[in-house]
Amino acid sequence: MKKIFIDPPNSMILFDIVERLGHEPLSTMAALQERVDNLEIDMPPMNVTLDDVISGLKYAGIEVPSGIRGRLATWGPHIDEADAAIVMTQAPYSFGCVGCERSNEMVKYLLRRRGIPVLWVEYPGDKEAAMRMLESTKEFLEGLE
Amino acid sequence: MSEKKPRKRETRLIMISPASNVTPDLLVRTAHALGKELSAKETCYGCLLEGDPGVVAEARDELRKLDPHGIYSKRRAYPAGDPRRCRAQHGTRPGYAQLESEWKLLANLQNAMDAIDLGEKAPPEPQKKILPVREFKEIYEVNL
Repeated sequence: MKKIFIDPPNSMILFDIVERLGHEPLSTMAALQERVDNLEIDMPPMNVTLDDVISGLKYAGIEVPSGIRGRLATWGPHIDEADAAIVMTQAPYSFGCVGCERSNEMVKYLLRRRGIPVLWVEYPGDKEAAMRMLESTKEFLEGLE
Repeated sequence: MSEKKPRKRETRLIMISPASNVTPDLLVRTAHALGKELSAKETCYGCLLEGDPGVVAEARDELRKLDPHGIYSKRRAYPAGDPRRCRAQHGTRPGYAQLESEWKLLANLQNAMDAIDLGEKAPPEPQKKILPVREFKEIYEVNL
């Protein structure tokens, strides 16, 4: 079983497909659950701890807006931990973690910099695209074994 | 005195595809009928399951048998009915827009999975054409 980082990190479709194919998806939800259960902060991810902001410095420079650093403090450790990644491309603006496109670009940059295998899948806008997406994902995950 | 260990929790969101015949009510009844130590909460899109991670995974697999290609799931960070998120207590629900946009796509995925099971092959991706200058001019010179 490999650890697969998914982008958008809150996508149910990617989470479900990775799980169905027998691997462990790394998503925002698991990272946030840790903060919900163990830390006394009011409403993650809207509120962060000082440690989050400091750990975000590993992934984004000090001149980068704090919102990006906060997001990367959540996703960055998962990118470090991942054996491979699946990224959905050509999705509409409102799909995934909206609000900060620079964070999403930074995630793609960090994935490329780590050099792990990355699959760029098509947005399943119709049945044919969904079939292409499922087939390529299956082939990619089977190839990791 | 026995030492209290913190209980591991997993909350799982189960969503039904719009092309499926399964109802949220059926999901919750089936989850209760399993007789496992978990809580199930009916929602408009499916249900929420909460309990120990192993038990929740077993329940998810059992529920998926109702419609293997029509039931999807993901983890949820907040517990079910958490006042910070629960609509019944006027909590905010920032992830709902994403859930709605993915719900619309589930029928495509369900149909694709059915087609793959029947042995169909995915058609190749259509080639993107370069827009000819004449057509581009027609677009930007249009008089509204």
